[in-house]
Amino acid sequence: MDTGFSFDRLRVFLNDRWSDIADLTLQHLAVVAISLAIALLVGVGIGVLVWNRPVSRAVAITAAGIAITIPSLALLALLSPVLGLGWGPTVVALVFYSLLPIIRNTVVGLREVPGDVLESARGMGMSRGRVLLTTQLPIAWPVILTGVRVAAQLTIGIAAIAAYVAGPGLGQYIFTGLSSIGSVNALNYALTGTVLIVVLALLMDGAFILITRYSTSRGLRA
Amino acid sequence: MSTLAGIEVGAGPRASARGRAAVIARQVAAPVLVAIALIATYLWVSASPLDSIEQRTLNPGYILARVREHLVLTVVASALVAILAIPAGILVQGVRSRVVRAVVLALGNIGQATPAIGVVILLAIVWQTGFTTALVALVAYSFLPVLRNTMIGLEQVSAGAREAARGMGMSPTQVLRRIELPLASPTILAGLRTSLVFCVGVATVATFINAGGLGDMIVNGLKLQRFPVLLAGAVLVGAIAVLIDWLAAIVEDIVRPRGL
Repeated sequence: MDTGFSFDRLRVFLNDRWSDIADLTLQHLAVVAISLAIALLVGVGIGVLVWNRPVSRAVAITAAGIAITIPSLALLALLSPVLGLGWGPTVVALVFYSLLPIIRNTVVGLREVPGDVLESARGMGMSRGRVLLTTQLPIAWPVILTGVRVAAQLTIGIAAIAAYVAGPGLGQYIFTGLSSIGSVNALNYALTGTVLIVVLALLMDGAFILITRYSTSRGLRA
Repeated sequence: MSTLAGIEVGAGPRASARGRAAVIARQVAAPVLVAIALIATYLWVSASPLDSIEQRTLNPGYILARVREHLVLTVVASALVAILAIPAGILVQGVRSRVVRAVVLALGNIGQATPAIGVVILLAIVWQTGFTTALVALVAYSFLPVLRNTMIGLEQVSAGAREAARGMGMSPTQVLRRIELPLASPTILAGLRTSLVFCVGVATVATFINAGGLGDMIVNGLKLQRFPVLLAGAVLVGAIAVLIDWLAAIVEDIVRPRGL
């Protein structure tokens, strides 16, 4: 049996499954977006708490730095007896790996806010909370978003591995390709999954340029 | 997991955010945490009664064999990447063509966006399963980030330093060896370190294409619902990743030219 690559077969393959493929692509996008939103809240929260405290700052960034080196298959496998299969362990793992870039960039961004700007804000009678919300976070925002962007690239790839614990998204096609090695469509499955993930990652990276541009406070836009 | 590499490229903010205290904290914290995790796992596993399936896996012989496979895969792949990608980066940077450089950097970005599991499995489908395939996939996968970091590192060398070296009468090769490479070395080493940690992770998924490693324990534990096996495999592979990153950080510190 010929199991090699042929454009005709790929076309038939895509034609037969396009709604399935669209569904998986959306799932992939959704799980990454949900995880990033949670990681943004948690990461910026931690960053705000530690940025001005040298010891906690070192602890937070060190811990996140150690955490990110842990192979994703190991973490996903460890989470699955506790959280079951599917979306649960996937989202938790993706949030886990997003924390380092987001915490680190929040800290860097907040530390880069000039001291005299802070002083003027306080001098205008703003409370700490208001200074944070209306001065510090807006100035740090582009740097924080860069962290989210790095996290996005990272988690799009990890989400593919999460398909092994029945996670949502295009990784399912990659693993279907693996389990059907030797059959006609093995290559088509793995190729479709992989290529679409690459496309998704590149599109998302491009989207972040736009998001950064339009969510940065007007006075700070270059 | 495709973009761990991107994190290390911008070495600037990282260094300033962490500072000296954080670096030292990490150098102490990593081995301590690993030791605690390993001892706790060992105590827990040895205290729990093991059935025959678990005994077949949770013995020193089997575990050491998997650890060896994992380390060989990681270290050989990273060594090959260092031998291939750094000279390639120097060559590409040496070609003064903007187009070539832009193409390589663009390819690097696409490579970074590619999921590792996809590369491993695609290669297994079009070629064969097994250790060699995993090795090739690892090298192919880490090649671009290291190449990219080499190019970026060389690009960041200030034109003034280069000109001064030329003015002192150094030949282009001497400038490269004595000025450019030392100045670029932190960025190049950061790339290699990322690729090492990365390889530990990707070597874990090598189990899917029958290439061994600690992924075997994780996947078997998951499939056969034997939590002690899964736990031992996951903790071991995590420990290896953290320790390799830790060692690489120390090497980075030692190798860095004094003036930097």
